[in-house]
Amino acid sequence: MICAGIDAGSRSIKAVLFDTDRSHILASGLTDQSVEQERLAAELFEKLLKKAGLERSQISGVVATGYGRNAIRFADTTITEITCHARGVHRLVPDARTIIEIGGQDSKVISLEDGGHVRDFAMNDRCAAGTGRFLEMVAARLDMNWEKLAELARQSKKPALISNMCVVFAETEIIGLLADGKPLPDVVAGVQNSIATRVSALAGRFVSPPVYFTGGVALQAGMARALEEVLACTVRVAPQPQFTGALGAALSAGPANKAGDSGL
Amino acid sequence: MIDHCYDHVEAAKAEGRPIVGIMCEFTPREIILAAGAVPVCLCGGSAATIPAAEQFLPANLCPLIKSTFGYHVIGKNPFLNWADLVVAETTCDGKKKMFEMMSATKPMHVLELPQKADDADALEQWTREVRKFKEHLEQRFQTHITDEKLRDAARLMNRERRLRRQLAALLMRDRPPLTGRQLIEFKSIISGIEADLRQYERALEIFGSADQKPPTTNQQNKSLVRVLLTGVPIVHGAERVLELIENAGAVVVGMENCTGLKPILDDVDLDEPDPLHAIARKYYHLPCSVMTLNTRRFEMLRSLAATFRPQCVIELVWQACLTYDIESFHVRKLVEEELHLPYLKITTDYSPSDSARISARIEALFETIHARLQ
Ligand code: SF4
Ligand code: SF4
Repeated sequence: MICAGIDAGSRSIKAVLFDTDRSHILASGLTDQSVEQERLAAELFEKLLKKAGLERSQISGVVATGYGRNAIRFADTTITEITCHARGVHRLVPDARTIIEIGGQDSKVISLEDGGHVRDFAMNDRCAAGTGRFLEMVAARLDMNWEKLAELARQSKKPALISNMCVVFAETEIIGLLADGKPLPDVVAGVQNSIATRVSALAGRFVSPPVYFTGGVALQAGMARALEEVLACTVRVAPQPQFTGALGAALSAGPANKAGDSGL
Repeated sequence: MIDHCYDHVEAAKAEGRPIVGIMCEFTPREIILAAGAVPVCLCGGSAATIPAAEQFLPANLCPLIKSTFGYHVIGKNPFLNWADLVVAETTCDGKKKMFEMMSATKPMHVLELPQKADDADALEQWTREVRKFKEHLEQRFQTHITDEKLRDAARLMNRERRLRRQLAALLMRDRPPLTGRQLIEFKSIISGIEADLRQYERALEIFGSADQKPPTTNQQNKSLVRVLLTGVPIVHGAERVLELIENAGAVVVGMENCTGLKPILDDVDLDEPDPLHAIARKYYHLPCSVMTLNTRRFEMLRSLAATFRPQCVIELVWQACLTYDIESFHVRKLVEEELHLPYLKITTDYSPSDSARISARIEALFETIHARLQ
């Protein structure tokens, strides 16, 4: 049986086609988010079908997740990204006990119990501190892409301290630091540390190893290290970190989940 | 039942009865009723009045306080405009200092609340404070508050509390006949209105009858999650989080807060020789987070968990409400380690900008609860 998962996040839409019988991913892909998310998601879905050489009628279930999940009306049902990331990561790395997910506009810390069920979770509230938004702002300011930022951060000897939690005020602070002649690598590493610190405050009481890092920001080199430092434990980047939510959604559409079972 | 309230206050005004504004469950309504006055709750539940308040108050303040003060600034709360006196009390700092500002243009009486709930002399101190309040009302409204009037008022309030308790108790059933949102709609902002009491009685008949159909779920084939809600008061107009919870596939079977069960579980003891002391005692034992130590709240949560049988506890904290925010540490511990239930804390204010995010957290909690049931 082939199932589809669509993760309509704040920055991009991710989709996965999953073969439940052979337990493997047939196709995955992503596209940038915009206002017409349902159309974008449908196009992405079609693209993946073509890539896998499948027809729409061969797909037995579609589950949408992510911030925009309710806008994906062609999905059979919706499940929150918290449950989906837990299922996706648990499938890829069954020993995971804590998941840190940092996306474009939010960050989450999920703790798992045996069987991959969510035991507890924390999520940033109203504010974008500790999310990918912070890196985006810096990238736009410096007119650089994320890879270049990561490369810079690696060169830092003494990361700058960024004290403002609010992204808007932090931007002013960063301009100030650069104007004062702080080396660029130190400022970028400071931004990474500031995100990590914020996320660790969110995690607070429940980080138990093994800790896996997922979401778009996990792809940025240096972020896992910044997290390791503040959490004082090993943080591994999950396989296919951008797709764990979509994978979890596809798994939720699978046979074991037809009756609302959590499967896994 | 706001419509009853307008009629009631208009009629009272016409009869020359004074209107007394209150803002807290510690304020003994019986004393106000015994003075022949009408106690009206002034707590603001509207986001729209907050910008006006922020001209004078810090932005980083509880929305309940800001909204209430905002109504005062723009003069849009008819009950506040009608009020001949506002009763304030020294509970949280935000309210206390807001009252100071309101008192510049509104007659005000402040009740000092001793906050060490278990101190031997705390109740005596509070009784003295309530007695001073009685004397103040007698003088201001040129009346004499007899013991008999106090007992009559306590009888009326006991009846109101009993009816509200009975209605709330319907949600103990395995299949509650009404939702938490429906229940809170019955709450009046004025105490002791005969029309309200009759409405409670009718509601009890309708919802209490065996063939009343329980509300259905939109999450087909999944049962509704039973939620115990705790934390700050949800005043009229600020029911958003309650709605988000129930729309995600739940019934809020119990509300521990001041707009729910907290103030109606205890009655005034009519057999006590000094009715004023009996009234002071009933009010003093309210387990609000401004008290220290607030162990009564934890006892109440234990007993509500036993009788209402929730599957999780959700705590609502208004942004910048320090006492409830800090106390949530103990509540979480109690819920997780002693009651062995999942706990979720939601910190927010009156603006709906974070509704999608709050819904995601609530839905994730319910998904976990359903997954465990499998
Ligand atoms: S929560 Fe405390 S301060 Fe607020 S109304 Fe209740 S008793 Fe008064
Ligand atoms: S919710 Fe908290 S801060 Fe707001 S009035 Fe009540 S006790 Fe004070």
